[in-house]
Amino acid sequence: MAASSIPGSAAGAPPLAVDRLTVRYGEKPAVSGLSFTVRPGEIYGLLGSNGAGKSSTIKSVVGLVRPLQGSIRVFGVDPEREPVAAKRMMGYVPESTLLFDALTPREFLEYVASVRRLDVARASARLVDFARAFQIDRELEHPLATLSNGTRQKVIVIAALLHEPPLLVLDEPLNNLDPRSVRIVKELLTRYVAEGERGVLFSTHTMEVAEQLCDRVGILDRGELKGEGTIPELRRHVTQGDPTLEAIFLKLTEEEEGVRDAVRTLTRG
Amino acid sequence: MPFEPLPEDRPSWRRAWQLADPAYTELAFQAIYAVRQGNLPPTDRSEDLSRKARLRVLQSKLLVSALLGFLSMGSLLLLNPFAQQLFVSVMPQGLYVATVLGALVVLELTLLWWTGLQILPAFLASGIVPLLRTLPVDAVTLRRASLILLLRLFDAPAITCLVLTPLAAGIALDSAWAGLLLLPAVLAAVTFAISLALLSGRFFVRHIQGARGGLGPTALRWAYLVLWAVPAFAMYGFITIAPAFLRYVAALVIYGPSSSLDLIFLAFPFPLTTLPAWGVGLPTSGAFGLDLAPIVVGALLYITALAATGWWLRTAPFRLAVETPLASLPTVPGTIRLRYGSIPVAVLRKDLRTASRSPGYAFLVLLPLLDAGALGIWTYVANPNPTDVFSLAAAAVSSAALLATFFGPAFFAVEVYGYSYTRTLPLPGRSLLLGKVALVAIIYLFSAAIVIALTLLRIFSPGLFLAFVAAEFPAILAAAFLEFGILFHRARRKGLPITNLFAGAWWAAAVSIPGLFVAGTPLVVYDLLRIGARGAIAAPAMGALALVELAIAAPFALSVAGRGAT
Repeated sequence: MAASSIPGSAAGAPPLAVDRLTVRYGEKPAVSGLSFTVRPGEIYGLLGSNGAGKSSTIKSVVGLVRPLQGSIRVFGVDPEREPVAAKRMMGYVPESTLLFDALTPREFLEYVASVRRLDVARASARLVDFARAFQIDRELEHPLATLSNGTRQKVIVIAALLHEPPLLVLDEPLNNLDPRSVRIVKELLTRYVAEGERGVLFSTHTMEVAEQLCDRVGILDRGELKGEGTIPELRRHVTQGDPTLEAIFLKLTEEEEGVRDAVRTLTRG
Repeated sequence: MPFEPLPEDRPSWRRAWQLADPAYTELAFQAIYAVRQGNLPPTDRSEDLSRKARLRVLQSKLLVSALLGFLSMGSLLLLNPFAQQLFVSVMPQGLYVATVLGALVVLELTLLWWTGLQILPAFLASGIVPLLRTLPVDAVTLRRASLILLLRLFDAPAITCLVLTPLAAGIALDSAWAGLLLLPAVLAAVTFAISLALLSGRFFVRHIQGARGGLGPTALRWAYLVLWAVPAFAMYGFITIAPAFLRYVAALVIYGPSSSLDLIFLAFPFPLTTLPAWGVGLPTSGAFGLDLAPIVVGALLYITALAATGWWLRTAPFRLAVETPLASLPTVPGTIRLRYGSIPVAVLRKDLRTASRSPGYAFLVLLPLLDAGALGIWTYVANPNPTDVFSLAAAAVSSAALLATFFGPAFFAVEVYGYSYTRTLPLPGRSLLLGKVALVAIIYLFSAAIVIALTLLRIFSPGLFLAFVAAEFPAILAAAFLEFGILFHRARRKGLPITNLFAGAWWAAAVSIPGLFVAGTPLVVYDLLRIGARGAIAAPAMGALALVELAIAAPFALSVAGRGAT
């Protein structure tokens, strides 16, 4: 299916193209010359240790961090030049469940739906379905500050999916969710991209989740891409046999020896 | 092999201070950078950020201290012989001194309490004390660390009261002994204020921030918030009613002992502020037959209350901070139907909803409205001469205009809540700007409506009042556009997100003062033309100037905000 059927997108452009992205916080480099593409119909997993640059990359994509260099295109649209157009095509789940604490989920979702200019009846109907699916329909009238992290995470997932965006940008989206909701989100994501046009950028450091969900993964280490491909491709590239994604990750990030040393030190004497 | 723990420390204040110091830095950091709300801190070195956060908190405390110091020094004026002469002819000199000092102490209590209301929710919701609790530290040290943390939020203002107020009284009464005798009253005021702030802060965190959505709970929240904002009017109230109150006390004294007089003398802090007058031998009863028994009983009562409150305060900061910060609420079926309109309206509703659960922001909305209410009530009570109708209309409009304009920029700070998420939404800058300007306009119109409605009960001249409100309205819009335009411009130039402009005195001054200038100029022009025998054209000229200001400010702000996202 041609990407041009998505309102506001450039013909043939992929859901997300990141080219030579460099991000710094003051003197501290976070991402250095990172390039990758989320293709139509795929879930692209961004894997990395804590501080590897996953969240900085994602924050650059959604407009929270201004890159020092490089370019980002969302369906061919430059978020720096046309932020509103780019943001209309995205749904974002942040790493932390920081929301408008003083609003209730209903008030928060009203605000999001209003800013996104969604049809009221359709948005309400989708909210009914989501609230029941995630079992939060009895908590819609309580301020977010009073709700558990899990419930807040469900609200933020609903806010990202409410407008059925062609690109989902998910930073550790399964954090805090109960097993039922994790299963629902996984199923939704798989079906979401199945129609072939949309894309998902999915950041995680949980290898099992990436292995189950992602069509391709990029392995980030200290802000640089150490490897990229489908999991079978990475296996072939890294070693013989049938290693787990965790083993591939440690090999690519050259952490195998470091892990052995750490365990040896911690169990000494 | 498990660690051999070091020998346990005995509870000590030194250890408590060591625990409280980094906790204070963390609290300052949270308060200034709002990182828990998703705000990205600036990219300075972390040591610089901590230092800057502490500096900002110190600056806030110094501002409050300066105001309190100003009040203390102001009492010198009221206690000078010339001012005393105005009242001493009708009331004993000692009674006058006790009443003035009483008013000063109550003002200090209210200002400290109100300051506490601003910061206590952050203290209670920060989660810092519960975090300290997870450390292997004995309970006594933890309680002490919590108390130190709480007291450090009030240190400069409290010290100002405890030092400057007795000093001012001592200088005014030319007696160090009189100054020392005022100390119990000031100590009681500071202790009661901190305790009240702690209790009311907890109440707000549990019952206002945690209140459900819906029309009924929203109305209830705003009602609580109105009551909460009232202490801020203490100074205004004292200034306006002080002469009448003094005359009332003098009249009661002349008529001799009565239950009204006893009740006044029993009220805090009168029995304690009588001590300095007695200490220097000023007459408090004299020929007027003032009964001393209620004063002695009252003084003992308040000193006992002070001791009890001090004892309670010893452990209360820890106990209240480790409680569940928010009341657990029963789950109820929610409303699943969404209702919304345009983006600026969504911004406006979101701000009002946020303010209704955030006392600091609610105050910004309520202050102009309550001020309008106070002004209206005062006008009604004073029963002004109908010939003053132009002055009354100008005063009503000026008050509403200047207050709405001064506090306008603070509404951008509401964006701190959920900041990072807001910036990922396709929210055009102009829509955000229009939503904020609408809020300032609504506050102005509501304030003006309140004061005018009350004034109309005395002088029925609705056409004139409405003409004044309408003439100034474009200037209010112009001021709001200019203020928010400056904020946008600053944010763009510095490369900071608009929401990263944390509240600070500089921002308010750099933004509010130009806004006040724009809002105030038509009013000044009106006054000048009226004085200059051009009364007939004064109001039309005011309206015309306001329109010109709007025609300049609105395009500036809209072009700065642009169509891009925030």
